[in-house]
Amino acid sequence: MDIKTILMIIVSMVFINNFILSKFLGLCPFLGVSRNIKPALSMGLAVIFVMTLSSIITWLVYRFLLLPLNITYLRTIVFILVIATFVQFVEMFILKKSPALYRTLGIYLPLITTNCAVLGVTVLNINNFFVNNKPVEFSFIYSIIQGFFAGIGFTLALLLMSGIRERLLLNDTPACFRDLPIAFIVASLMSLGFMGFSGFNF
Amino acid sequence: MEDNLLVSFWPHIQMKDSISKIMWTVFMCLVPAGIAGVYFFGLHSLLLIFISIITAVLTEGSIQLIRKNKITIYDGTAALTGLLLAYNLPPTVPFWIPIIGSFFAIAIAKQAFGGLGRNIFNPALSARVFLLLSWPTYMTAFVKPFGSADTISSATPLSILKEGEKTLSDIGLTYMDLFLGRRAGCIGEVAVFLLLLGALVLLFLKIITLHIPLSFIFVLAIFSWIFDKQGLFKGDVLFSIMSGGVILGAFFMATDYVTSPLTKKGKVVFGIGCGLLTFIIRRFAGYPEGVSFSILIMNAFSPLIDRIFKPPVYGKK
Amino acid sequence: MVKNNLWQEFSKGLFKENPIFYIVLGLCPTLAITTSIENALGMSGAVIFVLTFSNVVISAIRKFVPEKIRIPCFIVIIASFVTITELLMQGYFPILVKHLGIFLPLIVVNCIIMGRAEAFAKNNKIIPSLLDGLGMGMGFSLAIILIAGIREFLGTGKILGRIVFRCFSPSFVFVLPPGALLTLGILIALFTRIKKR
Repeated sequence: MDIKTILMIIVSMVFINNFILSKFLGLCPFLGVSRNIKPALSMGLAVIFVMTLSSIITWLVYRFLLLPLNITYLRTIVFILVIATFVQFVEMFILKKSPALYRTLGIYLPLITTNCAVLGVTVLNINNFFVNNKPVEFSFIYSIIQGFFAGIGFTLALLLMSGIRERLLLNDTPACFRDLPIAFIVASLMSLGFMGFSGFNF
Repeated sequence: MEDNLLVSFWPHIQMKDSISKIMWTVFMCLVPAGIAGVYFFGLHSLLLIFISIITAVLTEGSIQLIRKNKITIYDGTAALTGLLLAYNLPPTVPFWIPIIGSFFAIAIAKQAFGGLGRNIFNPALSARVFLLLSWPTYMTAFVKPFGSADTISSATPLSILKEGEKTLSDIGLTYMDLFLGRRAGCIGEVAVFLLLLGALVLLFLKIITLHIPLSFIFVLAIFSWIFDKQGLFKGDVLFSIMSGGVILGAFFMATDYVTSPLTKKGKVVFGIGCGLLTFIIRRFAGYPEGVSFSILIMNAFSPLIDRIFKPPVYGKK
Repeated sequence: MVKNNLWQEFSKGLFKENPIFYIVLGLCPTLAITTSIENALGMSGAVIFVLTFSNVVISAIRKFVPEKIRIPCFIVIIASFVTITELLMQGYFPILVKHLGIFLPLIVVNCIIMGRAEAFAKNNKIIPSLLDGLGMGMGFSLAIILIAGIREFLGTGKILGRIVFRCFSPSFVFVLPPGALLTLGILIALFTRIKKR
């Protein structure tokens, strides 16, 4: 296994191709849940969790179900169903095992089903780590790492945004820029900063 | 006194001086480095500085006029933003570059947030990165000092270093050259000696503190020394500090009251972050210099840092 | 009177309830693929197709689907239409599919489509749902073509691949991610201001 490849995946997912600031995946929860820090953190944790496990499950489904049956064109339908079912199970499990955890994470779980970042990372895993319908070496591990760190990148952007928006709340922002437009401009300036990592190479 | 009342929310620092007095002091402390830049790179740079300042002030004034706010263009904040932006430009860019840059700095990075004291990101740096990504060819075309604008183009010491494993003497420069500013670079960043002199005055007047600049430079130096391209512990510390925009960035831009953390601990964390990110971008990313990017990224972190290191509540221990 | 109502179902999506500028839904494809008008047109076609047909089908089966499992049912319907679109476009516009990349399958999770299913199609008859889908789809298209036009012109100096002004030095940042966020932020601010008047 190649340390360099892993490091590149990490830097790429967290900074260069940050899901929110560069790929625009998961913008709806990003704007919806970034008004305060605490819910943002919970949402972030829930996304990391779901993204990592979805990466694992969809990889297995793709490799051992869709490929042998030669129905890879059903990828989109199957993945979204798998993710939706899986999230449902997680929700039920958490509700039973830990009501406290449910109160912090639970309400965000249904939202995640339609979060394009989750479906996005699973599709990206398949695109990146399968060549001509054959998994590349260590494809499974790379997929898990990509899923986990895409979640980390998402959470990082979400946390930064929520910190900034809490401060903006106290501001006299011009009326037409209030709330969403200024959030986009903040995201744009954050994205400008993150562009500094482009061309990253060890 | 009246100017004091205008800053309604941020910064919360107890200040004897008015905002305008502080801003003009910082402005004056930066002037010598600019004069040196004009001396090295010619009259074109002087015009760039003027255009940048005038555009910034005009943009600020007209937006305040449209929003029917009090006109505060004499307090020096817009002029300072214009000056800092010009200092971050290569000396040969066309005249429309500072116009667009200053407009972006004031209109988008400052006034869209509500004006003075409300911006999250440093306006001058936001504009510089915006320009760098928009017109990379203009924004990375540097010249040697004392050459006419069209003839002698040259890379900055940092970008020469980026391209191959070279040392200072390979580039044909000495530490003294770097210290005095006899090298290719942005208008206001080259004259390290004069920048340090200006920073000393600001430190003496207690307008800035050492927390951010020191941790910024220290971390950058340590990491550049240890993880050099040519092997562990082989980096050139003085070169890494004096060859880019670090001195200008660390003392004059990272220390901006509005966009940096409030507490001492927060400031140190902010500085460490800047230093680390600058090192990572210089060493591994595509750009030769990372000061602007890293300060911009740390600006985004600063509300979170403030939340972690809360300023003590007045009257409590 | 009835005709008037139907026209309203169609036209509300165009401006008054424009999904992107006023409801701010379905942003992921909006920003990612709006680097050129051509991409935006391709994405528009796909979204109008999926949105209209899924609205119609969901409206048609609204009385048979139990409330509790409606969401998975809707997702399957939407995903089926997305897959059909994917296959059709791969057949006819292979280059466009390459440009749109992962954002074509991601139409499934585009909030507009699920949003219209939940907010409109599951409570309304087929014809209004059809018009609602068409109208919202057109509104979405107008918005992303506008954004793509601005970004393509400012970022490359071209419109539909043709150079407009020779002396114009394009601002490359507008075809990069920060430019997308900036354009959308300013446009939403602008539209908010227009609506207030």
